[in-house]
Amino acid sequence: MKNSKLILIQCSLLLAVLLVFPQCTDEAPSLDNRNYTLVWEDEFDGAAGQLPDATKWAFDIGTDWGNDQLEYDTDRAENVSLDGNGNLAIIARKESFAGSAFTSGRIKTQGLFDQAYGRFEARIKMPWGPGIWPAFWLLGADIDQVGWPQCGEIDIMEYRGQETNLIHGSIHGPGYSGGAAVTKSFGFPNNRFDKDFHIFAVEWTTEHIDFFVDETLYQRITPDATSGEWVYDHPFFIILNVAVGGNYVGFPTDQTPFPQTMLVDYVRVYQEVN
Amino acid sequence: MKNINHNNIIYTFLITALLIITASCKRDVEDLEPASFPTTAEIFIDGFSAGLSYAAFGGSDVTAFDTDTEVKYSGTTSMKFAIPDAGSPKGSYAGGVYFTEVGRDLSGYDALTFWVRASKAATIDIIGFGNDLGESNYQATIGGLAVNTNWKKVIIPIPDPSKLTEERGMLFYSEGPEEGKGYTFWIDEVKFEKLGTLAHTKPSILEGQDQVISTETGDNLTIGGKSASFNLPTGVDQRVAVAPSYFTFVSSNPSVATVSEKGIITVLAEGEAVITAKLADIDAVGSLKVVSSGQPIRPLTPAPTPEVPSEKVISMYSNAYTNVPIDTWNTRWEFSTAEDTELQIDGDDVRRYKQLNFVGIEFSSATIDASQMTHFHIDVWTPDPIDPPAAFKILLIDFGADGNFGGGDDTSHELSFTNPTIRSESWFSLDIPLSSFSGLRNRANMAQMVLSGDLPTVFIDNVYFHTDGEITVGPSAPIVAAPDPMQNTEDVISVFSDSYANVEGTDFNPDWGQATVVTQEAIAGNNTLVYSGLNYQGMQLASSQDVSMMTHLHIDYWTANSSALNTFLISSGPIETGYALSVPTGEWASVDIPLSDFSPVDLADLIQFKFDGNGDIYLDNIYFYNDSGMGTGTGGGTMPTVAAPDPTQDAGNVISVFSDAYSNVEGTDFNPDWGQATVVTQEAIAGNNTLVYSGLNYQGIQLGSSQNVSGMTHLHIDYWTANSDALNTFLISSGPVETAYALSVPAGEWASVDIPLSDFSPVDLADLIQFKFDGNGDIYLDNIYFYNDSGMGTGTGGGTMPTVAAPDPTQDAGNVISVFSDAYSNVEGTDFNPDWGQATVVTQEAIAGNNTLVYSGLNYQGMQLGSSQNVSGMTHLHIDYWTANSDALNTFLISSGPVETAYALTVPTSGWVSVDIPLSDFSPVDLADIIQFKFDGNGDIYLDNIYFHK
Repeated sequence: MKNSKLILIQCSLLLAVLLVFPQCTDEAPSLDNRNYTLVWEDEFDGAAGQLPDATKWAFDIGTDWGNDQLEYDTDRAENVSLDGNGNLAIIARKESFAGSAFTSGRIKTQGLFDQAYGRFEARIKMPWGPGIWPAFWLLGADIDQVGWPQCGEIDIMEYRGQETNLIHGSIHGPGYSGGAAVTKSFGFPNNRFDKDFHIFAVEWTTEHIDFFVDETLYQRITPDATSGEWVYDHPFFIILNVAVGGNYVGFPTDQTPFPQTMLVDYVRVYQEVN
Repeated sequence: MKNINHNNIIYTFLITALLIITASCKRDVEDLEPASFPTTAEIFIDGFSAGLSYAAFGGSDVTAFDTDTEVKYSGTTSMKFAIPDAGSPKGSYAGGVYFTEVGRDLSGYDALTFWVRASKAATIDIIGFGNDLGESNYQATIGGLAVNTNWKKVIIPIPDPSKLTEERGMLFYSEGPEEGKGYTFWIDEVKFEKLGTLAHTKPSILEGQDQVISTETGDNLTIGGKSASFNLPTGVDQRVAVAPSYFTFVSSNPSVATVSEKGIITVLAEGEAVITAKLADIDAVGSLKVVSSGQPIRPLTPAPTPEVPSEKVISMYSNAYTNVPIDTWNTRWEFSTAEDTELQIDGDDVRRYKQLNFVGIEFSSATIDASQMTHFHIDVWTPDPIDPPAAFKILLIDFGADGNFGGGDDTSHELSFTNPTIRSESWFSLDIPLSSFSGLRNRANMAQMVLSGDLPTVFIDNVYFHTDGEITVGPSAPIVAAPDPMQNTEDVISVFSDSYANVEGTDFNPDWGQATVVTQEAIAGNNTLVYSGLNYQGMQLASSQDVSMMTHLHIDYWTANSSALNTFLISSGPIETGYALSVPTGEWASVDIPLSDFSPVDLADLIQFKFDGNGDIYLDNIYFYNDSGMGTGTGGGTMPTVAAPDPTQDAGNVISVFSDAYSNVEGTDFNPDWGQATVVTQEAIAGNNTLVYSGLNYQGIQLGSSQNVSGMTHLHIDYWTANSDALNTFLISSGPVETAYALSVPAGEWASVDIPLSDFSPVDLADLIQFKFDGNGDIYLDNIYFYNDSGMGTGTGGGTMPTVAAPDPTQDAGNVISVFSDAYSNVEGTDFNPDWGQATVVTQEAIAGNNTLVYSGLNYQGMQLGSSQNVSGMTHLHIDYWTANSDALNTFLISSGPVETAYALTVPTSGWVSVDIPLSDFSPVDLADIIQFKFDGNGDIYLDNIYFHK
């Protein structure tokens, strides 16, 4: 049983502004206590070089997932494997492979695990460099039936390697996808996300989706915040990937250091209990 | 050497900075509480932060930096840098240092940041911090900073902030024209910051390479390629060149090799050691594996000690004898692969040649007269096999009566030696009758020797000529008395002379532990002080003597056998300074040493003399005198008897402060109360009103109103002093911003200076409010005015080229290694116009019949010496120079590496100027291996009599 005590951050957030550094008042009311029970996890324990647990993760293999990304995602240990220190490493490399100039990895729980509502969290240390685009995100499990964006997408964390102190949380649904997604950013004024591990999470109920970095709630999205249909009422599966290039992040440059590694300490999924 | 690299610029600057920054307060360290330094982050937001000063680099355009209220990133003011065009007479580049007198504690910050934009896309060569005008232990720089017409923020990470607890170097830069064209860049909001968004520090040494180097015990190596990359918030790496003191160096095997804090490796023994480094506990990429073969293969015992009496020997290399000067033991002639080192075996010096195919040994500067000698001797040791036909060859060369290579009178002969004359791994002595060198028809001007053969490694010792007969030698003691002194008694303070009343009570043989035997002998009836077997010898004056009113020390001396003799004056402290006397003499020699040469000895408090050196010395007529009472042409007396020279500038081109010849700025207060001790009067000197400062400590002049002299080019001052040894003049603009200019003193006659106003940068010439003088002594001033020299004669009394020859050198040829002079035989084969890409036009012209080296349109100019010169036995570099239009001139000595150091010459000149630069000023240049000269600066330069002497 995990007992999360969370602080609701009530700031005069400027909703139109993309980037917000939360500056909080002492009188911030506490978020209701919630009781969660762990229902699914991968701690990524195992020998270095080992592929991720095939009972939990499947590979997406190939290139260009609709965002003009430049990498070819493989199922090789060179791109996705355990690091022997209890972490999953997804490694973007600059190498010619199957017609692409870069390789990387993209794994998912599709067909192996999905869930509606609850808390989805991962503890991650970011890669860096212009054009590097790691993400921890959820897709509606009915994607093969209804298509995207009707299935819904919850981006728990996206990050641009040229903005090392910023992450972004978003939802994409019918009528509000791509550039029109509902999104908010969280930034460190004096730190960056590639120096240490941080916990990225959403807490998802029928009324809202709350976005967290470590213990800070920086965004609550309610159904009335979307211009279109609220489609977050059915199971979603998990995706971890590191993209290179693409229309969200721009191209890597000569100055982008390679290889670049996203380290994931764990992924945990909880359900709320009363 | 072709390009000015930035290390050179720093060296150049160190010298210049001393000229520019004279008014600096020294803190008394002992009075300070344990360090608590300000943590001020701001350097330039809308103006200089507290305590910040600026100094431009030598050779740079000192006017390049200014502030700008038009173009700025935020606030009211930015820093503007106007990069000159290539060949600009104001300077070839822009560069300088912003520093504080009191260090700042920057350990709480992680980067220097600023905003930058430029008038066009360009690449700034160097910008960084940690240049403190001294050792700059914590310098960090970025190179090749791309800028354009948009403002962009620049972050220079601090390699290890914990080191910067007392940093004085806040910002420095160096930038030249872009493809020959000048441009402008601005920076703003310059400050240190704690960003927290720098990550992934990756230090490296040796450019990140793992290198292996073969060495021998005794070698010293320097670790290069020190840098660190830091990932900026934008995800890209920024490379920073990092000074060695940021790193911690480690040797894996300190018994084989140690490494200093500055990254200097010393090899101690045979074995292997890996040198690595850390930066703030992060391992640096790159390493140096030192593989030492240990002590070089070498003789176990010294060569046999020569037994020939020294009076029958002319020794070139031996611990048993006093050696004659040898120009070089390795001329490094083309195709020679020989490397030479000197080492000791049981305390005996031997010289080793490795990779010997042939080696030139030259002593042409002071040729050897072996005409009375019968034999040539050399001891040799080799580890190499000597099976026939392996040979060891000796070539002796005599330059003939002309003393110079060539000329049709050179003779030489080579002898070859084989087994069993030569042996392996044991000393063998070659004692060769000179008659065996049958082709060597003359031996009076021996100048070169060449060793060659089939032995790659050779140790040599006891290289000398000797005779098995008797030789005719000169007398060992003077037979005539020292010359009679001619100074007036009233102008003299005498220590030892029959002609004057001497200072009473002097102890001529105080027990300072010396070996010298001191006697007094009558030489031709004249009492003479004799030092036999001098090592060193003191004289204790009975009481402290004030000789500050004297100008010279006179000594008569005689020695037939001394090869080194120095005299020292000593004041309380003790503070002592030596002066080298030319020896041997073979006759009475008289020297008149300017007392200023003994600086910093306190002339008001002389307590002792000292002599050191060797041989048997006869001394007489040791006294101080003041030459101002005599007709020496340097004027005389304690005040001028003639008026200052009449100004020649057009009144229309002048803003005058103090002169009878012009109308002066009104309302000026010539004696404002600034707390000074100076007594100010105005006196008529030969009818000419003159400003007099008596007992100057410092003195101000408050102008009646702020003066805009930005349309003027020079400040003119006439001054006269008989007793000052320090005099500076300052211009002061509002702020106050002040800059000093040092005047040469004492003058003893009216001296006129025309100081380029650019020398007073960064004083605001549009807003001059005050003058200041400081120094000491009694000063007479006249004709203080600003003028614009454009379109008229310079008033410095000259045309554009000299009409008289440079003064004749006075050094003994035996004490000289000459590069360019009609008076001496010069180093052969020097290329006076090597192609280093310079713009300078080089010619040689006869000036009043004297061959003179001329640089027209100097930007920079090299000289490639015909061979590497060992001048470590010399003390000074002498140069005569003349220029009417240069305002920057530096001379550089360059040793292999290259290692080069600059010395700034005062320009322009009003006639030939002679400088004798102490060779120690060129440290760290290797004086045993001088290969090149360089000059840089601007204008047209006439040079002559470039030589080293002792």
